[in-house]
Amino acid sequence: MNIIEAKNLTKTYRRFLKPEGLRGSIKSLWRREYIQKDAVSSLNLSVAEGELIGLIGPNGAGKTTLTKMFTGIIAPTSGELSVLGYYPNDLKNEFKQQYAVVMGQKSQLFFELTANDTLHLFKEIYGLSESTFRETKDYFTNLFQVRHLMDVQVRTLSLGERMKMELIVALLHNPRILFLDEPTIGLDAIASRQIRTFLRQVNRERGTTILLTSHYMEDIKALCPRCVVINHGKKIYDGSTETLFENYQQNKRISATFPQPPTDLSLPDGAQIIEQTPYKLVFQTPKESVASVLTDLMQHNPADISVEEEEIGALVERIYEENKTV
Amino acid sequence: MLAQHKKNIRVIKELIRLRFQKIMLFRLSFFGPFFVDGSLFAVQLLVFRAVYANVDRIGSWGRGEMILYIGSFSLLNAVSMVICFFGLNSIPYKIKNGDMDLYLTKPVSPLLRFTFEQVNPGSIPLILMSLCIIAYGAATAEHSIKTAQIAAYIFWLAVMEILYFEMEVIIRALTFFFVTDARLSQLEEAGIDLCMKLPGIAFYGIYKVIFYGLLPYGIMATLPVQSLVGEMSLPLACFGLLVLAVFTALTAVLWKTGIRHYNSASS
Repeated sequence: MNIIEAKNLTKTYRRFLKPEGLRGSIKSLWRREYIQKDAVSSLNLSVAEGELIGLIGPNGAGKTTLTKMFTGIIAPTSGELSVLGYYPNDLKNEFKQQYAVVMGQKSQLFFELTANDTLHLFKEIYGLSESTFRETKDYFTNLFQVRHLMDVQVRTLSLGERMKMELIVALLHNPRILFLDEPTIGLDAIASRQIRTFLRQVNRERGTTILLTSHYMEDIKALCPRCVVINHGKKIYDGSTETLFENYQQNKRISATFPQPPTDLSLPDGAQIIEQTPYKLVFQTPKESVASVLTDLMQHNPADISVEEEEIGALVERIYEENKTV
Repeated sequence: MLAQHKKNIRVIKELIRLRFQKIMLFRLSFFGPFFVDGSLFAVQLLVFRAVYANVDRIGSWGRGEMILYIGSFSLLNAVSMVICFFGLNSIPYKIKNGDMDLYLTKPVSPLLRFTFEQVNPGSIPLILMSLCIIAYGAATAEHSIKTAQIAAYIFWLAVMEILYFEMEVIIRALTFFFVTDARLSQLEEAGIDLCMKLPGIAFYGIYKVIFYGLLPYGIMATLPVQSLVGEMSLPLACFGLLVLAVFTALTAVLWKTGIRHYNSASS
């Protein structure tokens, strides 16, 4: 059963074109020019209940705008939209009772108070009984292993701990859909991995549909069997995440730091240096050569090595090049 | 409907509880406003004393009625300061920087949250001082005051407190439509400042149109005092209720349209 259905969904913003200089500003007091910007353009999307779907695209692609339309924060300019059988921008309480949203750059926690204090407010906002509240809170504090942090001022928590609290607050009322907008933004690798593990567990154990917006390829690859790529507001890929990486990912990004500057370090054909200092080397290399490159690097006794996915921009470019628009 | 009201009351209680916990974390933020608001109130009284030192009457009102007027306006202002002023005042900022997003996604009215999430106990002494002034004014007023008039006075105070709240919402909700509020909040401050010193019965002509109909601060304390001293007429009562009805409808339309008009902010 599909719980999100979007047909020809479009969101257009009007932008004021300010003429240059004081003369232009005076002129614009009487006559203004506007340009239309399609943040989302004729987008079709169906999401089934229980899915964990990734929404990826470079900055300004329209991911956040799409999430805001799904949650009713903003109204679409045109097209049809149904989420859980509701038109989101009607902002009906019965609809809002069934979903949750976590925005990586906006917090719903009271910074000066504790996470427990915020949870009590949300208990009343969602009209939860004392027993449901206790049961759900215990489940998530155990799952996230944050029981000892519940009575600590939020402002003193680390970014990773704070994000766990955001997720507990969002999941307190057992939503059917969880919208996540860049939940791992700014988090280190360990915290990101923990968040991903919890999300997978919540999706599996509670059947929560998760729509994850991110421009971190690691998030999508680790979590989402299906992903949608959007660019300039248009959907350019909708399908298996594995296939996406198989077909369009050509390189990996390797970062290595050394206690001593390495000598005689050679890179394979096709490798491209991104950053190089005596103690640090960041480069991109074809994914087939990663194993041999790592073997070579290990011979230079590196202090640290990390292998990351290619940036989303490169994938988007390749999808365009091969003209595989959906 | 009843369940929704019960839920709203529980949310209000929790918001107030959280607010108290928050301001009690910092002793200065808890005790400071008592001193600041008390000082501001004393300044207002001094201004009033200077203005009315050489004025014995305004229309049919003597000094006692004027004291009642000052006390009533101060009470309206103080109740707003305690309950909703600081929360409502944050609306333009939350609209501009996109903080409104998270309010819209929760199954409780955003306006209810704004109204009660920044209650200010520091202004409670202002309510007590205003009540003292009203009692003093009632004792020195030339008109005799009966029980029914006191009941009518309380009714009109409640009506005007709602109107006061609506004016605050209307001015701040304009941010939904315009990036700036065109300094309308300064117009609000000036209107309150003027009408705190001068009762509505002192206005004539265009000033009466402005302060009775467009920025109805002129009637806010005038009508309650008129009902208390027995000067309330049926047309005046109907006018007061009509103004409330018009501004209630305007607030509802502006707020609902504003929310639909909201475009968030780029992340």
